Amino acid sequence: MLINPRNVQAVARKEFYHIVRDYRSLYMAFALPLLLILLFGYALSLDVDNVKVVIVDQDRTELSRDFAGRLDASAYFDLVTHLPDERAAVAWLDSGKATIALVIPPRWTENIRSNREAPLQVLIDASDPNIGTISRGYITSFVERYNSRLLVDFLGRQGFDNLRPALEGRIRVWFNEDLESRNFIVPGIIAVIIMIVGAMLTSLVIAREYENGTMETIRSLPINAVEFLTGKAIPYYLIAMTDVLVALAMGQLLFGVVMKGSFWLMILASSLYLSVALGLGLFISIATKSQLVANQIALLVSYLPALLLSDFVFPVENMPRMMQIVTWIVPATYYIDILNGLFLRDVGMGYLWPSYGVLLFMFLVMAAVAVVKMRREGL
Amino acid sequence: MNRIRIREIVRKEFIQLFRDRKNRPILFVMPFIQLLIFGYVVSTDVRDVKVGLLDQSRTRESRLVRDAFEGSPVFRITHRADDPRELEELLLRRKVDIAIKIGPDFSERIRKGETAAVQVLADGSMSNLAGVRIAYTLQVLETLNQDFIRELVPQRIDYGRIDARARTWYNPNLESRDFFVPGMVAVLIMIISLLFTSMAIIKEKEVGTMEQLIVTPMRPFELILGKTIPYILISIAQMVAVTLFAVFWFDIPMRGSAGLMFLGVCLFLISNLGIGLFVSTISATQQQAMLTTFFFIVPFFMLSGFVFPIENMPLVVQWLTYLDPLRYMLVIIRGIFLKGVDMTVLWPQYLALVILGVVVFAGAVGRFRKRLD
Repeated sequence: MLINPRNVQAVARKEFYHIVRDYRSLYMAFALPLLLILLFGYALSLDVDNVKVVIVDQDRTELSRDFAGRLDASAYFDLVTHLPDERAAVAWLDSGKATIALVIPPRWTENIRSNREAPLQVLIDASDPNIGTISRGYITSFVERYNSRLLVDFLGRQGFDNLRPALEGRIRVWFNEDLESRNFIVPGIIAVIIMIVGAMLTSLVIAREYENGTMETIRSLPINAVEFLTGKAIPYYLIAMTDVLVALAMGQLLFGVVMKGSFWLMILASSLYLSVALGLGLFISIATKSQLVANQIALLVSYLPALLLSDFVFPVENMPRMMQIVTWIVPATYYIDILNGLFLRDVGMGYLWPSYGVLLFMFLVMAAVAVVKMRREGL
Repeated sequence: MNRIRIREIVRKEFIQLFRDRKNRPILFVMPFIQLLIFGYVVSTDVRDVKVGLLDQSRTRESRLVRDAFEGSPVFRITHRADDPRELEELLLRRKVDIAIKIGPDFSERIRKGETAAVQVLADGSMSNLAGVRIAYTLQVLETLNQDFIRELVPQRIDYGRIDARARTWYNPNLESRDFFVPGMVAVLIMIISLLFTSMAIIKEKEVGTMEQLIVTPMRPFELILGKTIPYILISIAQMVAVTLFAVFWFDIPMRGSAGLMFLGVCLFLISNLGIGLFVSTISATQQQAMLTTFFFIVPFFMLSGFVFPIENMPLVVQWLTYLDPLRYMLVIIRGIFLKGVDMTVLWPQYLALVILGVVVFAGAVGRFRKRLD
């Protein structure tokens, strides 16, 4: 099948007119990514830094006050208030005003001083499991450190002064030193944007020709499937790539999310991933011939997987085996891996080539499938 | 208002919807697939943390460190490194989440009563998970610290320690699924009711049959009802099916009243249909309608507290979330499923849905009628 660049250009120009005349679509194709980036950069965070704690101190001793004071001083917790009894604490949990309620029972200090285990009741609002897990991790870790202090205290009273901790964890965080969820969410959102523009918008373009009856006219033209599909894809390629650049710039200028790796590797990865998305969108469009159906299917196979099955927010390692296998065929998985490498780990082709390879392979398959389907439809 | 005319347009809409065979799987299969994916996928639990270990000390003490991590339910030592470069490489290649390095002088220092360092490198890319992993790492090390101190002291130690008895409420097993699946029911209803209403009306415009509807003796309000009733019915049917699926397939406990949930969904639908109608008045093509709908769906979804906690948002954005009907619906549906609360706690949410619904729907109907005249 020969490709005549002028035919491609003609189709692309027609599609361009279509978009430009329908300026609202164009305007929204740019505004939607902006909105997403702003939302994610400013408003959305998965980090839990100041867990709200209420304390019911039924012991009221120097030790229990010391415990509460150290908790409040810790960067992880925010001691909201002291409450008289457990009922009141539960009410705070019920209304969502506190995440953790600590109940220090009577004779707590006495137990500790007479070398018995002293129970501490910890109630955690786990209705949001992300917050629940994080809060539980923080509080158990805090109590364990306090126990070490009690042990040293105890030994001091036994005459072992200047005892130092036997070991100490020196934690260094790599790739995202400040532990800001923004640093992985802003790059990840680019993957979602590309799917919206690349696959969801294009899933409508050929279905529209069928619905409006203009497909008949196109069939009678001297163009072949490759020319037609390429022409249809070009305007959306340009829109999506502009979106990528805008997202990169905004991430950097507004939110300080700086890409550590190579700019051109990023462009290459985005082009490959976008091409997969375009092939997918066009294929759905040819196969369904109805804009409503195409849109719903595109939502299911492009947008949602990019959001859910790509290691973007929900870690793949937590999924059941079956779902993990599904993530292998989701293009966003590989793109997000590349983004992670370029934005956070600062690695190059030496580490990332397998993901590039998979995306290239996916593009070839998707393009072939779309062209074959289009030819079967008589073009 | 003429009931027969409304009934006829509803019938026409249903015929149109079901005549296209491709619509059927979308209406009846899609929601289940989405729920299945969500039910199995969403989990931000921290378990099976992959640990890489470099042990340069190779003594009894360093083996105790290894054993402590292997014995923990959270960690799994997946890789052993022979030198620091190899250890860092493991982290760079995302083979491990946490890399632990025990230096050559580790046990020497402990035996001399000095503090021995355990170097921990954590992959911070997913910051929320990294924070918990670090907390658990510190906890394991702290327990070890106490063990080593006990060994240094020549007598039996029974010191009084705090025993933290953590109970996680509302969701005792910290099941992400119990949290997300009920919410997904609300999200699915939102997507279907918003998208279908606007696209169904726009399709009449795009194909040109709107003109014909206008020249019929149908009044604008009858047309609106006729066009929205099918989607109300479909949404309710989907809610029932999806809820049953959530309860029986995923074993999500439903602690509160089903009637209250039904009421909530009905109120929620009013705002959704209003927005769908509004989108149809400002769009000319289905592509436009879809994009515009997305403009509503995406912020509604993100600002609802479905994945991202509202209390983490900046204050101004928190105010914005009060305009999001999904926000109220989620509180209702999660309250009913997880906490089993009733009207005494939930009435503000219902009230908000009523107010929002009436304002949005009335506004949209007004616009729609003006467009037709």
